[in-house]
Amino acid sequence: MSNFLNKILYHDGQGWWDLPRTQWQEPNPKMEGPLGDGITPIKRIWEITTAANLHHGTPWFYVLIGAILSIITIVEVWAFAWLFLGDLLVPLMLVLSLGKFVLVVGFFMHLKFDRKYYAWIFTACMVIGIGIFVALLLLLNYGGQVQQ
Amino acid sequence: MASASATYEIKSEHGEVINTSTGLSNKKLLMWAFLGSDVMFFGSFIATFLVYRNRSLVGPYPADILDIPITSVSTFVLLMSSLAMVLALSYVQDGRKKLGTFWIFAVVVLGAIFLLFQVYEFNHFAKVGLTPRTNLFGTTFFILTGLHGAHVTLGVLWLMFLGFGSIKGTLRADNAIDLELAGLYWHFVDIVWIVIFTVIYLISARDVAPPGSVPWVPGAH
Repeated sequence: MSNFLNKILYHDGQGWWDLPRTQWQEPNPKMEGPLGDGITPIKRIWEITTAANLHHGTPWFYVLIGAILSIITIVEVWAFAWLFLGDLLVPLMLVLSLGKFVLVVGFFMHLKFDRKYYAWIFTACMVIGIGIFVALLLLLNYGGQVQQ
Repeated sequence: MASASATYEIKSEHGEVINTSTGLSNKKLLMWAFLGSDVMFFGSFIATFLVYRNRSLVGPYPADILDIPITSVSTFVLLMSSLAMVLALSYVQDGRKKLGTFWIFAVVVLGAIFLLFQVYEFNHFAKVGLTPRTNLFGTTFFILTGLHGAHVTLGVLWLMFLGFGSIKGTLRADNAIDLELAGLYWHFVDIVWIVIFTVIYLISARDVAPPGSVPWVPGAH
């Protein structure tokens, strides 16, 4: 298996991606990636908005999350009012509302930044809650009629 | 060595004194446990709404009565109140009293606007003939949204109390945990509404009279 991988990934002990050195032997410019260093300002803005400290984001980060939540809500209403999706409507709405749910719980409720123990408590209760939800749906839909 | 059940104090990164016997804030642990129980509470009512969906024998039915544009606006208001809440907490934790107080009262105002939308909606539904006694849709709708409204009302009162505390100086960075607990509650109320808006207003809004039921005629009640 390792021989097979070596044959695929290497050539004469070197990776296929190791390009020949130039005659000047200059290292690649620092930070140069597929987009050059044009990505750096965006990366810097992202770092400034998200990294207030380990326990919460900056106000601008929360405004960004609020904007994303608003956009998802607009997409929901737009899809409901203008796209006649038929059977796709329910899964689409559930996915979009799940996205909003995760953003609010993760960032606004600080579960992303906080101790994992809180996330475990909430997740455990969510699992029980969803269990009750599914049990009720199954019981009352397939459990037969109540005898009068 | 302290016994396992001993309670001791730790200081958070904001200088808050936190009582704990687990290494976690007792208050916050209690709030998360309460929110977990509330998940089950609302989960039961949402499941009940879905079980009785399309089973009303008389109108009005959801397609006859639900007003999506108005509810979309009230949903947006509640989402923005959640944003205001997290900003309020951020500023109070940083010791910026004026901004913290401003955003706390912004949450109170936005929460009150959401409640006004709900009062308008309930009033409008009652006028056109949908009450909790009209049909299964009315019963499940009013119980679910009414319980949510009761939660919002409690949150508004709680935050108003904390807002005045911030003005008086009793809410500070070193006891911002009190605002954080109110914030957790408020965001939870918001996520419950995210689910209610999707389930009742978007997924069920086109439900018409099911087979064998009486079509609804406006003004015939």
